[in-house]
Amino acid sequence: MPSFEHEGKSLYYELHGREGDPVVTIVNGLSMRTNHWAPYFELLPARGCRVLTYDMVGQGASSKPVLGADFDDHATMLAALHTHLGIERPYVFGISFGGVVALKYAIRYPERIGGLLPVSTFSELDPQLEGHAVNLYQGLARVGFEFYLDLLMPLNFSNQYIAANRDLVHLIKRVGASTNELYGIQNLMESLSDFRSLTPELAAIECPTLIMNGEFDYLTPRHLHDIMRRHIRSSRLILVPRVCHAFTLEIPELTSRLIGDFVKSVEAGEWVGDQSVWIADEHPDAKVALTRCEQDHLRAIPVPEPDRPARAPRRENGPGSKTKSAAGKGQARTKAASGGTKASTSGKKATARKKAPSGQR
Amino acid sequence: MSPSFEEQQRRVKRHFRNGTPDANDQTRIALYLQAVKGINVAVLAKLEWQPVDWLPYRFLHGQYYRELELTTLLGRATQWSSQSLIYMEAATLSMDLWSRTEAARYLPGFFEVDERFYSYLALSHAFMSVLRFMPLVPPAVDVEADPFLSALKAIEDENGRQIQTQIRMLKDLDAGLSRQERERLVETQRERVEACFAQLLATLGQPPGKGLEEESD
Repeated sequence: MPSFEHEGKSLYYELHGREGDPVVTIVNGLSMRTNHWAPYFELLPARGCRVLTYDMVGQGASSKPVLGADFDDHATMLAALHTHLGIERPYVFGISFGGVVALKYAIRYPERIGGLLPVSTFSELDPQLEGHAVNLYQGLARVGFEFYLDLLMPLNFSNQYIAANRDLVHLIKRVGASTNELYGIQNLMESLSDFRSLTPELAAIECPTLIMNGEFDYLTPRHLHDIMRRHIRSSRLILVPRVCHAFTLEIPELTSRLIGDFVKSVEAGEWVGDQSVWIADEHPDAKVALTRCEQDHLRAIPVPEPDRPARAPRRENGPGSKTKSAAGKGQARTKAASGGTKASTSGKKATARKKAPSGQR
Repeated sequence: MSPSFEEQQRRVKRHFRNGTPDANDQTRIALYLQAVKGINVAVLAKLEWQPVDWLPYRFLHGQYYRELELTTLLGRATQWSSQSLIYMEAATLSMDLWSRTEAARYLPGFFEVDERFYSYLALSHAFMSVLRFMPLVPPAVDVEADPFLSALKAIEDENGRQIQTQIRMLKDLDAGLSRQERERLVETQRERVEACFAQLLATLGQPPGKGLEEESD
């Protein structure tokens, strides 16, 4: 079992892919562990990336912090792990809680990062996210770990995924409760109680940055990702259609495509970090993976951006009536961005949503 | 060399794949947890004399009564063994538990918020975080359909809730100790409880007395 000792603490890690390929380091969400990323161990190497996953202290097979570890500690330990493995400029991909660690890492070690991928995450707590954090904390402390997972399930996964995996939910919860050291997870949550906004420090991040946000992520919603987009100069924001907070577990094929394309463009010196906003195609093999978002990406209702002239509203007299489309192709994009029922540009359904563990946050 | 704590956990996990705990194992587990909760209750009982506005009182008062409640629930849910050797084995483990954890140290006198009190909190924390049986039971087992497993789960759920307040106290209580000293105390108590728990695990699935013989070899 590969592990790395750092100042008396042991970090469990796994490294997959070809030596010499650019390394993507995955930083877990709060109640995740290394094996949640199993699909990526093959998908990312197939896209030319080596993948490093590890359990932060408090998670999975790593040491459990006795009295907690803060975000700075996690960033320091990640840098030490990279040094230990001889990884000089990794692409650091962090999900949710791990996204904050990734941001911290990019701020503290600007010379030790090739690219940053903050996903389903935040640089500051808004009142709603703070409310969710308090609810999850209280749920964990007052009701129990399985209730905490119950609270997370509808925030993490789409209706489609939950409906398809309903029978497994009970089993997933039992496994989650059994494999997590409760005091380790609670200790990690404690680190959120001392959280200070990272937003003022985001301007220090200069590396290429790909921010990803699920269309229906109501735990860490769009505007929190937009804060990162506006403050990180070399960034782009991608909106991933029809998925929620834990989309990385639900649609690993598409997520791997987006990660792989990002790494490829940076390595080729073709990355354009222009703070623009893009919508991903639902199909991981779509010829064109991204479409520029032309609408106000901060709204759930598809309306024009405030500084663009409004188009004439499309009117419909009822089923079967002939009307001219006012928006043309843009209408399809709008629907994709807002959860409309029409298929996106590829016209195909997203890849099968297989079972995935529930702990991501 | 006796097997490590992790090896014992793996062995018991394999054993429980063949079936849920029988009367011998249920008796061993129940008596062990009752011994642990007996330590807590003995210490916590005296805290009932502390002033009601003493910061840790409300939490520890709650813990005291929950320990009593869960101990009696476990007693009712256990299928008790008819083999006397199992009870002798349990008495040996209980004595070892009191001795290794130096539990008697926390009984005399009143508590001040000092090193001794902090050590007790760390011990109580280790009991709750280390002594877990649910991870050893196959996930597919319907725990709620088995009164004994259901009681164990209730205990571990309750431990999970109480750990949260414990963490806050272990972090914030000003017992005149540096962070390094506090970390060392928490780690030491955890190691002691793991060593005790490994002894219990060594007996599960074994004929009466065999697990302890192997430990002492």
